[in-house]
Amino acid sequence: MSAENRVEVGPAAEFEDGDAELVQVGRVEVGVIKANGEFHALRNQCPHDGGPVCKGEVEPRLVGEWGGSGERVEQHYDDDQQIISCPWHGWSFDVETGEHIGDDRYAIPKYDVVVEDGTVYVKGE
Amino acid sequence: MIDPADHLVVDCDWHYADTFTQVAPYMPEPWKTKFPKSGFGDTGVRQNLSAFFPASTGNRFNYGKIEREFSEYPDGGDTKADVLEGMDHLDIDKTLQISHLILAMGGISADDRRVEAFVKGYIEYMLEEVLDPDEGIYGLAPMPYHDIDASMDILDRVEDEEAFVGVVMVTAGASPPLGNRKYDPIYERCEEMDYPVVYHTGGSGLDDYVRAGYQDMIETHTLGFLEANMSQIVSVACQGVPEKFPDLDIVFMESGVTYIPGLVCRINEEYLKRSEEAPLLEKKPGDYITDFYFGTQPLEVSARPDLLEICFDMVGTENLLYASDYPHWDFDSPSIITDLPMLDDEDRKNILGRNAVEAFGL
Repeated sequence: MSAENRVEVGPAAEFEDGDAELVQVGRVEVGVIKANGEFHALRNQCPHDGGPVCKGEVEPRLVGEWGGSGERVEQHYDDDQQIISCPWHGWSFDVETGEHIGDDRYAIPKYDVVVEDGTVYVKGE
Repeated sequence: MIDPADHLVVDCDWHYADTFTQVAPYMPEPWKTKFPKSGFGDTGVRQNLSAFFPASTGNRFNYGKIEREFSEYPDGGDTKADVLEGMDHLDIDKTLQISHLILAMGGISADDRRVEAFVKGYIEYMLEEVLDPDEGIYGLAPMPYHDIDASMDILDRVEDEEAFVGVVMVTAGASPPLGNRKYDPIYERCEEMDYPVVYHTGGSGLDDYVRAGYQDMIETHTLGFLEANMSQIVSVACQGVPEKFPDLDIVFMESGVTYIPGLVCRINEEYLKRSEEAPLLEKKPGDYITDFYFGTQPLEVSARPDLLEICFDMVGTENLLYASDYPHWDFDSPSIITDLPMLDDEDRKNILGRNAVEAFGL
């Protein structure tokens, strides 16, 4: 990531897990999200209706496991899979891949993020 | 166009017009004894109590113009000879018989032993009197799904009978809906036995289950059967029955085909907003639904041809099964398929017979 086309987001130390910071990158708004200690950047535009997806909640994905015939499907949060849900209609996306959790034909554009000398940068277009 | 008489035609939904009088001698005790003493013949309420003061909008003959031998059912009743005569009349080679009377089972909530007793008697009666694979007459075993143990007994009974090739679950009145884990043992066993599960709509509670206060059959019949099937499709898909039992063949019968694209679109739209509520699904619920088989009857031939073509494309002609619903009042002849202009002859042959041979292992 060259220094010329990157956008400074802010000190990495100021991010808690689940935080998202919005920055303008060229003509689009991008959400820089910290999840499970990693930084990810997604365009703040839901592919469904253009909603501010990065203003939504970041949380582990709720998954179900079926124990066998007649058993209840037990649900638990999978901490390894963090999702972000658009506050407008609830469409939920994998923070790491940007893909919709129910249909991967829908995906939010991703941007490269780097932390250098304690500062978070996102790469421009 | 092909002539049904020249090709294999499998009718996946023939309603055997059974009567309690026919089946009762085959019921287990005490029903076998209780029934003849019940005064059914003298005082029992018939569906066709009066066509002027009908007991239900489910009465097919309200002010009707339908004239047929069984217009008095359930007082009439088929024999094996009637089935063979009807098959010859419609150019049908093989039929899957479904009990007419069992369609009311979903409305029975006070005493489910009656359903179990009827089904056990029905199976013995059909094996003894009607079914005959050599003549192409097969049966679908009704599942008394109120009682899982009773359902398992039925599956044990029919497992080695060549004449039974699947089970039927009546969709109207099933509570909880048929995707509930309660029914898993039935699905698991059917999957093991290579028995398709045929979900069949029914007339249980016909006057209540969509819109109490409907006045004529045209109202309940437009939506009632449809609602019964649609509500079970949603449950079966969202609760992950096809994921739990991937080798289970699922068949939905008797609501035509035009509702399927609408339901698929709607359920997929919900899924995009609420994916985590169906955690067993590996793909969109509509993708499972379009893997189900669907009986064609009553095919909406009055629909715009382009709409019908979209419906067939969406489900896939390999997933459509010809069904007559004979001898019910709105039955479809095989010509309903052979006359469809958007199909080629291979599609027609598949829908008329080949798909059913594969699904039911005939």
